[in-house]
Amino acid sequence: MKLDPSFIWTAFVKLLSAIPTTLEITFVSVFCGLIIGTITALARIYRIPVLAQLSSGYVTFIRGTPMLTHLLLIYFSLPMLIDGLSSEFGLGWNSARIPMIAFAFVSFSITAGAYMSEVVRSGLYAVDRGQMEAALSVGMTTPQALRRVVFPQAFAASLPNLSNSLIGMLHGSTLAFTVSVVDLNAKAQIVASTNWKFFEAYLAAALIFWGLTLLIERITAFVERRINVYNRGGVA
Amino acid sequence: MEYGFDIAYVYKYVPKLLSTLDLTLLIVAGAIGTGLIIGLLVALPRLYHVPVLRQLSQVYVSFFRGTPVLIQLFLFYYGLPEILKLIYIDVTKVPVLYFVILTLGLHAGAFISETIRGAVIAVNRGQVEAAYAVGMTGYQAFTRIILPQALAIAVPVFSNLVIAMLKETSLAFTLGVMEMTGKAQSLGALSQHFLETYLSLAIIYLIISILLERILLVVERRLQRHMRRDTPNRNWLGIRRWLPLRRLTQELNLDKKEVPHYEA
Repeated sequence: MKLDPSFIWTAFVKLLSAIPTTLEITFVSVFCGLIIGTITALARIYRIPVLAQLSSGYVTFIRGTPMLTHLLLIYFSLPMLIDGLSSEFGLGWNSARIPMIAFAFVSFSITAGAYMSEVVRSGLYAVDRGQMEAALSVGMTTPQALRRVVFPQAFAASLPNLSNSLIGMLHGSTLAFTVSVVDLNAKAQIVASTNWKFFEAYLAAALIFWGLTLLIERITAFVERRINVYNRGGVA
Repeated sequence: MEYGFDIAYVYKYVPKLLSTLDLTLLIVAGAIGTGLIIGLLVALPRLYHVPVLRQLSQVYVSFFRGTPVLIQLFLFYYGLPEILKLIYIDVTKVPVLYFVILTLGLHAGAFISETIRGAVIAVNRGQVEAAYAVGMTGYQAFTRIILPQALAIAVPVFSNLVIAMLKETSLAFTLGVMEMTGKAQSLGALSQHFLETYLSLAIIYLIISILLERILLVVERRLQRHMRRDTPNRNWLGIRRWLPLRRLTQELNLDKKEVPHYEA
């Protein structure tokens, strides 16, 4: 087994085909997580009786356990749930028909939801209370005030955290290989074991992840500059 | 795959999984210990603007923060022996556990160095100037003045890192280390009751991370005891909150304590 620098490039090219899967898992989970996170954050901020307690329990549980256990729990419980429901009501569903990637979507969305909940909550708390009061006093309803006044400012405030979560989910998506989804990591494993060149293949995968991370950081920095335009001082 | 969910397995497996808890905690402690040393070494060139080392440490931090832990684990597990073979060091007999601790330590080191850097920068510059003004050397100023204050700032971030590290140890099973997740997988495979096994695994992780959080909160309070809050001790109704007796006496004795005694 000798080091083969030229194989890094070969592996790099082979791995490119797996990037869409990785990005798909990342974006789907972050998007669904954002929705879950917003709902749970609002429930906790407005102290809606039962929902608030449920939300904080959910956030505590998910943030206190590794992402891998969420994936494995979903992987083994979802088929049971679906088969149980289908035999109960005669729906004709079959858990075997669920594509593997769906488990990754569901479980990573749940994971991302808990982290997003904290991001959204801190973002909403960062918006001055007077903004909401001013919006209500000019006659907006609460949903209007949230959508038009509070959310844009909260988004700007939580952008750094959002980008960190996005990068976290990008890195977390490597776990999808445990449920045999062929993402970047799984592809690297395949390329490595078929050619018996582990180091080179993983180095190529690491370089791709590094590049993607830097790209996300750049884009966030750009968006941050654009989105904070309203917030700058001066007169013009 | 027809079997019912049996809650009895959850209770049964908790003690079995707890038997491998020491290994998990060993990985956490080893990785955080390694990370602290590496993090400090990596943060120093950037804090003191050492020319070449600064760029190197920047690349190191960027790489370890920019790639997934799982990839890093595989990279070091497969790559390190090959690289060390080039300089005729044979590490093929070294247990996997050391690779895991080293990799997680390097990973933690990148985050810890950023934490240290942020905390040191957050300490008021006047503090170090004052230290120099009373005649301290650079080393004295760092260890006596900057470090205690920076520690207090860094501890909340640091405790997050420790808890994140606890969760990252679950990845060690991919290299075949029999820590809690690895144990859970083999237990599950043995009984075919995967769901119950992973449920008890999740419960253990949850309890450990809550415990760690509590312990680190105590440390945090202790390290931050020199930071008096500037905000008056009033809530929004204007009623003075109940003060613990110790804090009250501390506050009363403050003017006596702050008279400095310099001995020649």
